[in-house]
Order: sequence, then structure tokens, then C-alpha cells
Amino acid sequence: MKKIVITTFILVTALLLSACGSESNASQDDGNNVDLSRVRVVIGSSSTGGDTYQNAEAVSRYLEDEMGTNMKVDAIGAVKAFDELSSAKDDGSTVMFFHDMAYLGVEYGAFKEENKLENWTIGPVVAINPGNGFLTSGEAPYDTLAESAEWLNENPEETITVAIQAGGVSEVIFDGYYLWAKEEFGTGVSDRINVYVTGSQEDKNQALWDGNADIIHGSIGANAEYTKDEVEDKIKMKFLGLTASERVEGYDIPTMAEQGIMVNGKEFTFDKEFYFLMPKNVDKEFADKLDQAVQEVVGMEKYQEDLQKNSYITNYIPASESTEYLLEKRKEVNKIIEKAPDLDEIAQ
Amino acid sequence: MELIGVLSPMSILLCFLGVLIGIIFGSIPGMTATMAIAIFLPITYALDMIDSIGLLIGLYVGGISGGLVPAILLNIPGTPSSLCTTFDGYPMTQNGQGEKALKVGITASLIGGLLSLTILYFFAPLLASVAIDFSSVEKFLIIIFALTIIASISKGSLLVGIFSGILGVFVSLIGTFADNNEMRLIPPGLEEQLVYGFSLLPVLIGLFAIGQMLIEAEEGMKPATHQNIDLNKGEKSRFKFRVFKNQMVNLFRSSVLGTFIGILPGVGGSAASITAYSQAKSFSKKPSNFGKGEPEGLIASESANNGLTGGALIPLLSLGIPGDSTTAILIGAFLLQGIEVGPLFIPTNPDLWSGIVYALIIANIVMFAMMFFSIRYFAKIVYIPKYIIFPIIIVMCTVGSYAINNGVMFDVWTLLLFGLAGYIFMKIGIQIPPFLIGFILGAQCEKYFIDSLKGNGGDLTVFFTNGPVALVLWILIIGAFVYAILDNRSAKRNDARDAS
Repeated sequence: MKKIVITTFILVTALLLSACGSESNASQDDGNNVDLSRVRVVIGSSSTGGDTYQNAEAVSRYLEDEMGTNMKVDAIGAVKAFDELSSAKDDGSTVMFFHDMAYLGVEYGAFKEENKLENWTIGPVVAINPGNGFLTSGEAPYDTLAESAEWLNENPEETITVAIQAGGVSEVIFDGYYLWAKEEFGTGVSDRINVYVTGSQEDKNQALWDGNADIIHGSIGANAEYTKDEVEDKIKMKFLGLTASERVEGYDIPTMAEQGIMVNGKEFTFDKEFYFLMPKNVDKEFADKLDQAVQEVVGMEKYQEDLQKNSYITNYIPASESTEYLLEKRKEVNKIIEKAPDLDEIAQ
Repeated sequence: MELIGVLSPMSILLCFLGVLIGIIFGSIPGMTATMAIAIFLPITYALDMIDSIGLLIGLYVGGISGGLVPAILLNIPGTPSSLCTTFDGYPMTQNGQGEKALKVGITASLIGGLLSLTILYFFAPLLASVAIDFSSVEKFLIIIFALTIIASISKGSLLVGIFSGILGVFVSLIGTFADNNEMRLIPPGLEEQLVYGFSLLPVLIGLFAIGQMLIEAEEGMKPATHQNIDLNKGEKSRFKFRVFKNQMVNLFRSSVLGTFIGILPGVGGSAASITAYSQAKSFSKKPSNFGKGEPEGLIASESANNGLTGGALIPLLSLGIPGDSTTAILIGAFLLQGIEVGPLFIPTNPDLWSGIVYALIIANIVMFAMMFFSIRYFAKIVYIPKYIIFPIIIVMCTVGSYAINNGVMFDVWTLLLFGLAGYIFMKIGIQIPPFLIGFILGAQCEKYFIDSLKGNGGDLTVFFTNGPVALVLWILIIGAFVYAILDNRSAKRNDARDAS
């Protein structure tokens, strides 16, 4: 028995060391080293398969070397992550990594008002997932979002149901589509656009396959596999449009702006951006070092290649500009939310 | 040999290690296969994909299998899917057949795992295609079918059993309703703690472990052995493979049920073992022995929950949709390596696909070898005096509860709260297993009910008109319920006869 215990201990230790050692091409410059042995990165998602975890894990892996500390990503979900951040010490030992839902959730009422951006120190913006958009089944009679609204206009007996998650990025994108359809074709069309409110990407996919939704929110990372020619018709999907300001390299998918979708007189675009949040009174030295370290990391070719594997791109906005940038973005989004339909009224 | 060509010696070694660590996680109340995989996930980035797969599959199989140890020896389900293992496993231990029960459970786990692996290998794309035809309507009916076990396991009073189950469903609905982000049923002042409701594992362990310990503490703990049990009480307590002689149909049915329920995304492992146990009882020649130490029930539960391992991988690898919470984390491992999991995964990654299948074979065999031959040492837990083992269990339960959501103190309070609830339930006659089954399946039941209505404009007739599968499920539900009522009446008659 003793031998088994000792052998197990050696194997576990060897495994952990090999895992640590193989990525040890660290920067030797200790300028951004922090005086912490461990930084916990809580994320606003409870999934380890989604874009938030992937981006948090990738940037943390590189930041560890850059900041001379250990970083652990915990997928605990938004509400718990905000709670953890509100009770965290100011030394930077707990930080949060999330995306635009951090403020969208507050604006839509999904998160408490006390979690608004003003109550945190906003760290640097790190990356973008440009692949957000809408999909439909491969056999749908329209190929773009603009065409879907035209199709509704030409077929007054038809309806379209869109599967989204309440209070998140998918809701604001849906609002953009809905408001444009209303402005372009009138309430005769927009009144026939319904929502199917659901949670995970798997639930949205299943809603499409069940026929409970005609259009679903998705992304290149999560859904591109279903759009390939070899996929059987029953589960085949096609992209109707992406929300990013520019097309994603390697994919022939038009952006919503290209399709002429406009809201409040402007082309409708929405880049899903990932950034750090820290306690309001976080140690300034830590915040500065995190900012510097992120700047170093986003410049690394290897990190960029890692992001590229899942079609994400780096997008560094320094902490000194990120607050103003995100508050401005929120202000623009609020103009959409003010006019947006109440989900309770258009839900299936 | 192709196996060596596909799996490196390192990946085989990591698979061994994964199984060992997985068994340890599964054996500790509160620690699960999901948690083991989540902890080791970041490490996999530094490994090759095939080495990562060896480690993660080992953790998965070991974690699912390890849950039977505390379920059988201590009446504490190590994982939610080993809940039904306690029904007959623990009575076997009390009858002096602990070692036999463990070996029966381990062998059933191996067979369940290998059978589901065979199904995975030969029918993955086909079954995945069938799985997506199961809409929220059919999933709701499957959950209702699993809930019918409440009627069949209600001891004494059917009505009290059903009440306990409904109470469990009610408690499971505490939290936030995801469709409109509205909180409901939360006592004032606990909005922050209960925003996602009570965590399953602290509730499970609290009711089973802490509740039982409070009852024992009330009776007083003399410095006697833990269970006062002789592990080798006569010939009947020795394990022989002969025990499986008349169990082939049960083994096959339960493994296939486990695999099939695993295939359906979102239905989960607990429903698999609950349904298999319920079916084993319905088809058994000695249903009245269930719950009293009948190996048939143990075989059903364990073959089904290991059958799930292959089943849950089918939608993951054929559609990119995880079959359960553990395979949802496995997706993360693929994505970290830049590998897309979707409908073309198998044809575009033949080596990786073979690697997964080989890793599953190795993990199941290693799990069997590790557990089967070391089980005599595990089984001796029952000889440890209660005043030593109970504090250790409390510490393990507390640590497990604290760790399950990455360090949430409220989960420890949940453990204690439900420990107290378990004590009160036992005193006033509320039945804990039906309560737990209601709690485990309640939230899913509501979700699929609402999803069905949302997709059909609120029309309730959809549950009867959605096609032949729904009708078959209704027949099974009604059959199971009628059987439970008749079985309950016959048990009451037998009890009255015995009493007179």
C-alpha cells in the first residue's frame, strides 16, 4: 500500500511539474512581477467550453509568466463572480474577467444595480470574439438577416422566432435586428418576430432542431462546424450575419452592417469584447502591472496564434482608456435598449 | 499494434493515473468526476491532445465508479448518480456482504462501461441523430418516467412517498427562473446565497450523511465497531461471478438504458440509474427484496451509471453537444487544443476518435483491476469505530461541500441545514430517497415542461400529440405507476400477514 501511495505521489508531482515546465518560455524581465503568489481569476460564466473561459484561460496562462505569479481561472458564473469581487481584498488576489454582459446584464435587469461598471476598477480590454451572429437551418428560405425580414414582409402569414438568452449579448443583438425590421418594414413585420428565451448554446441549437426557433444566436467558435457541406441536412445550419464591425478572415459571412441593418441612423455593429474588472480600490501598483503585462501579452505572436485557433482576435485597450471606452459603448447600447421591445411581450 | 500507435505510453500512464485520482474523487462525498476534470483541465493545455484524453477519460471513468464505495459502505452516495446504489448496497453491507456488494458493483460498472463503449464505437453517429429527435416534450416525459420510481420506492405509505418527492421538486425550484431572471421562493435575506438555488451535493450529503449521524448521535456512540458487521459472514457473503448468472438481461437492459439516457443531452446520470433501478424492480421476480440488500438493484444502478460514460460521449463527439455536466467540461479540453467538436469530429479526427475509444477501454479495465483487487482494504472501513469514522466523514463532507463551487461557505451551511432536515425527516416520516429524487429531477422537469410549452404556443396537448415516442413514454409512465400502486398494496398485505 505504501508503495502505491509513494508511486502515486511521484506521478502526480511529475505530471504537475511537466505541465508547469513545458510553458516556461517566460519573459525574464521581472518588471511586472507582483507580490502575490496566486491570483484568482473569476469569470462571469460557469462553462469551461465557452468563449469567456477560453479567453480567460489563454490570457492568464501568458500573464502568469509576465507577472511572476500563479493564476487560476474559476468558472463560477456572473452573479457569484460579482459577489466574489465585491468581497475581494484590494491587493489584486481576486480579479474578474468577463465581456460586455457585465454591463448589459445590469442594464437589462439581470444583475444587481450595485454591479454597474462605476463600482469597479475597469482593467484593460484584452480580446474580441468577432464571430457572434445569427444562424438558421440550412433549408431556411433566406440567407441573410436582412433577407429574413424581407421574407416576413413578403409572407404576411409567417412568423420568425429567434432563440436568445435574456440579459446578454444575444439580447442586444436581437434588439438591433428587431428595431431595424420595425423601422424598415413597420410593425406589420416586427410584430411577427418572436423570441424564444433560453440559456446555453446547446439549448439554442436544440431549439432550432426541434423547430421551436427559426433563428438562433450563435458564434463561429460554437457553430461553424454545423455549417459545413458534409453535415447532414437535419442538423445543418447557415450563418445569417455577424455583428462584428469587420468580416472574420476565412469565413464568407456578411456583417449586419454590410446587410444595411441600421439602428438610430447608424450601421449596427457589436463587437463582443473581453476585459478585466477589479475591486474599486484595488492596489494601483497591481492594476498598473496587470495593464502593462496584458500589453506585453497581446503583442506576443504565440498568444495571438492561440486566440486565432478559435477565431478570437487581440484588442488591447489600456486601462487608462478602457473606462471611458466601455462607458461610451454602454451609452450607445442604452439608446437601443430604451427602444427595445419587452421580452415578456414578444416571448413565445 | 494499433493501440500503441494511437496512444502513447505517456497517455496510457496518464490514463492509469486519471483512473486512480478519479476513484479517490468519486469516493470522497462531495467530490465528483466533474470536479476532478475541472481541476485537471488547465494542466491539459501543456500536454498533447492524446495525452490529455488519456488523463481526462481516466478521471471520468474513475470518478463515476468511485462513488459506489461510500454508497455501499457508508450509505452516502459519493456522487448523485450513485444514489440508487445505496438502496441495496448499504443493506448488503449491514447484512455482512459489504465486500461482495462492492465487487458486484465494480463488475457491473465494468460491464456497463464496456457495453456503452461498444454502442459508442459502432452506433455513435446514428444514435446522435436519433437523440436530436428527442425534443423537450420527450425529455420531459422521460423525467416524469424517472420520477415514477418515487412511487415504487416509497416504503410504507405511497402517499407520504409522493409527498416527499413533491417536496423535493418544490425545494429544487428555489432560485432564479432563467427565462426572465426573476428570483422566486427565496426567503428574505438569502437572495444572494440562493440566487442559483441549493447546490445538489451538499443537499445530498447533508440528508444522507449528517442526518444519519445525528440520529446515531442521539442513540449514543459506544466505542464499538462502526457497523458491528462481520464482512465474511458465511458462504453467502463471498463474491462469486455466479451472482451475474441470472442477471444478464438486467445488466444489458440497465447498461443500454444508462447509455441511452446519457445520449440525451441535459437529462443526466442520476436519471439513468434511477430509471434502470426502477425497471430492474418492475421486471424482477423478487421485487419485495429491493431495498433490503438485493444484488439485482445494485447491478442495475451501477451498470446504468457507468453505461452513461459512453452514452454521454455520443452527442459530444457526434454533434458537439455534451450529454452531461462532465462531458461539458471535456469540450473545454478540446477547445483549449483548438479542436472543434461537432458533427464532423469523428471523420476529421480518426486518430483522436480511436484514442478516445482505446482510452475508454483501458480506463474501464484499469478501474476494474484497481478497485476489484484493492476492495478488501476499502471494505474494512466498516471496522473503524464510529467515534473515529464519523468525525472524518464530517470533515470530508464539509471540505467537499466547500469545494464543490470553488469555495462557497453557504454550501457548508446547506450541508448542515439539510443534515438537520434529514434528522427531522427521519423523525416525522418524510422519506429521504423520494425527496432527493424529486430534488435532483425537479429543475429539469420544469425546464423541459416550460420549453415544450414555449415551443408550442402554450398548448398542453403537445405532450400527447408530439408523436409515437411520446405515446410510448406515456404508456411506460402509466404502467410504472400502476405497477407501483399494486406493488405497494401487495407489500402492505405481506406486512399485515407477517405481523399476524
